[in-house]
Amino acid sequence: MKIVVTVKLVPDANAEKRLDPATKTLDRQPGATVLNPFDEYAIEAALQLKEKLGGDTTVTVFSMVPETGKETVRKALAMGADDAAMLSDPGLAGTDVWGTAYAMAHALKKIGFDLVITGGLAEDGNTGGVPCALAEHLGIPALTNAAKIDIVDGKLHIQRETDSGHQVVQGPLPAVVSVTMAVGEPRYPSLKGIMGAKKKTVTALTLADLGLERPVGSAGAKTEVLSFAPPPSRAKGQIVTAEDGPSGAKIIFDFLKEKKLI
Amino acid sequence: MQHVVVFVEHKAGATRKVTFELATEARRLADQLGGKAHAVVLGPGSAAIAEQLKAYPLDEIHLSEDSDVEKFLLAPAVEYLDAAAKSIGSCIILLPNTMLGKDLGGAVAARLSAGMTSDVTEITVEGGRVNCVSPKLGGALITSCTFKDADYGVITIRPNSFAATPGAGAGHVSQLEKPVGNTYAVSIESDVEEGSGELGIEEAPVVISGGRGLGGPDPFTTLLKPLADALGGAVGATRAAADAGWVPYSLQIGQTGKTVSPQLYLAAGISGAIQHKVGMRSAGTIIAINKDGGVPIGEFADLLVVGDLFAIIPELTKLVQEAKAVHA
Ligand SMILES: Cc1cc2nc3c(=O)[nH]c(=O)nc-3n(C[C@H](O)[C@H](O)[C@H](O)COP(=O)(O)OP(=O)(O)OC[C@H]3O[C@@H](n4cnc5c(N)ncnc54)[C@H](O)[C@@H]3O)c2cc1C
Ligand SMILES: Nc1ncnc2c1ncn2[C@@H]1O[C@H](COP(=O)(O)O)[C@@H](O)[C@H]1O
Repeated sequence: MKIVVTVKLVPDANAEKRLDPATKTLDRQPGATVLNPFDEYAIEAALQLKEKLGGDTTVTVFSMVPETGKETVRKALAMGADDAAMLSDPGLAGTDVWGTAYAMAHALKKIGFDLVITGGLAEDGNTGGVPCALAEHLGIPALTNAAKIDIVDGKLHIQRETDSGHQVVQGPLPAVVSVTMAVGEPRYPSLKGIMGAKKKTVTALTLADLGLERPVGSAGAKTEVLSFAPPPSRAKGQIVTAEDGPSGAKIIFDFLKEKKLI
Repeated sequence: MQHVVVFVEHKAGATRKVTFELATEARRLADQLGGKAHAVVLGPGSAAIAEQLKAYPLDEIHLSEDSDVEKFLLAPAVEYLDAAAKSIGSCIILLPNTMLGKDLGGAVAARLSAGMTSDVTEITVEGGRVNCVSPKLGGALITSCTFKDADYGVITIRPNSFAATPGAGAGHVSQLEKPVGNTYAVSIESDVEEGSGELGIEEAPVVISGGRGLGGPDPFTTLLKPLADALGGAVGATRAAADAGWVPYSLQIGQTGKTVSPQLYLAAGISGAIQHKVGMRSAGTIIAINKDGGVPIGEFADLLVVGDLFAIIPELTKLVQEAKAVHA
């Protein structure tokens, strides 16, 4: 059983982030990229499944990312994945949801899989459209927002979160499964894992390996960024010390009335 | 010219406010694009929803009561929405920015070779082009983007960002035909509603949030819930509270949780870490209660009351309840 986990590299949320004003794409300085936090949960889910299934189950990490992302991809290997594949090509710059899912689908077919596990959202683009778009391009089902993944008799059994509760669903393999944080806290790489990751194989793919029929990158994108700006900053408000409970309550109550919120 | 199609999310005939926000925005966009405003409602209960939608200025309401929509995951809804969009022709599809909205949006965008943009808080039309404003990078940047080289565009909309205004429309109702020749692969074995009948935190006009300062699970129900009820809102939390198992992750607000834009956000026992801030910074008014006057939330809250939340909140709840009783 071959599990492929798709991971995106995103600018570090704690570092200063910006779009390149000239290309209106994200400025990805190599030092400042980290694994998309949601994808760490996808890796965790894949590793849990590998432990459960045992046998010849393997976990491959896949990322569509410039070559400079290789060191960050190794962090996923350090967590315990067996090997990795990267799709890197200058022609992918400016790719949007449509092109990402399209190119990823072809790359995944090339490397082969029984199950694809994705995160639910990439923090940078903030779309959440890739998992289902990817499943469509692959022509296989999407089982989204999984909290718990089991495989019994070759069938997927998934507990998933919904907007208003949870569901249990069942489906065939191969499939695309996206996960939520409910799968469990991502493990920290051990020292052994970090050392071992250096020896693991990272396969490099380029667009030439895929033979795509339709254009990707900016040329094939269906969306275009027009402008960007930091959010309006919130002004510092009042800070008032309350003597006791009733006076604190009164301060807030009066403020709510003043703001016509009550 | 482009049409606008609203996907109506509902559960067995019960829908949420965001549906009417979408319907209102669809009308406005359709007028600017010279097209019609459509809605697509799927699954059991659709006819009842269509009746409610008639109070909003839509031209066409397409529905199917097909029970496959609640028996199989995503695929039947994708088929219907894809088919409806193709029969309507070049259009902008509006969905709520919910788990379901993002899933369906991604799938349908792939089928229609459409552009997709999510978590949109503002839309303008310029020279026939639809420009969408949405936060990226956990809210650190606000971008405006448009569609290109595509007949279709998919937009998921952040709840509470657009007004819901009833108005007259043709409201013509038609039945969608069942897409033929499909067997659906993923069956829904059980479906459990949690906290049914309550507003989701993304849609609530008021959010009362608790953090590590609450010290355990109980104050969420004994302290925050009564205040939320009195103010007509919902209870939220920080990741610290969700990680501790005090509340389900579905209540977590922030970078790795939900993004909310209520009129009022009250943060109790929350320090205001950047990862929390990005999920609530767009609230109308932010009030914090913290025993420490030097916490980061003081830098961006409209009001920080320095004091003990356990002493303040019960008194505040009383004041609000009394004020409501007088007005009732
Ligand atoms: C990758 C990543 C993603 C993250 N995503 C999120 C996210 O989505 N959402 C999120 O919230 N966090 C997130 N975090 C965690 C975030 O960094 C903070 O750790 C978290 O928000 C802190 O939660 P808190 O404010 O409840 O706890 P604390 O920071 O511990 O604050 C508790 C506050 O309660 C006050 N307090 C205690 N007792 C009382 C009392 N009796 N009365 C009044 N005040 C009292 C204290 O003074 C303190 O300020 C993320 C972190 C990382 C690294
Ligand atoms: N460039 C990429 N490379 C690998 N995986 C990706 C990429 N973009 C998106 N994904 C996957 O798709 C998920 C959802 O991303 P998105 O739809 O872009 O918000 C992520 O959590 C990843 O698992």
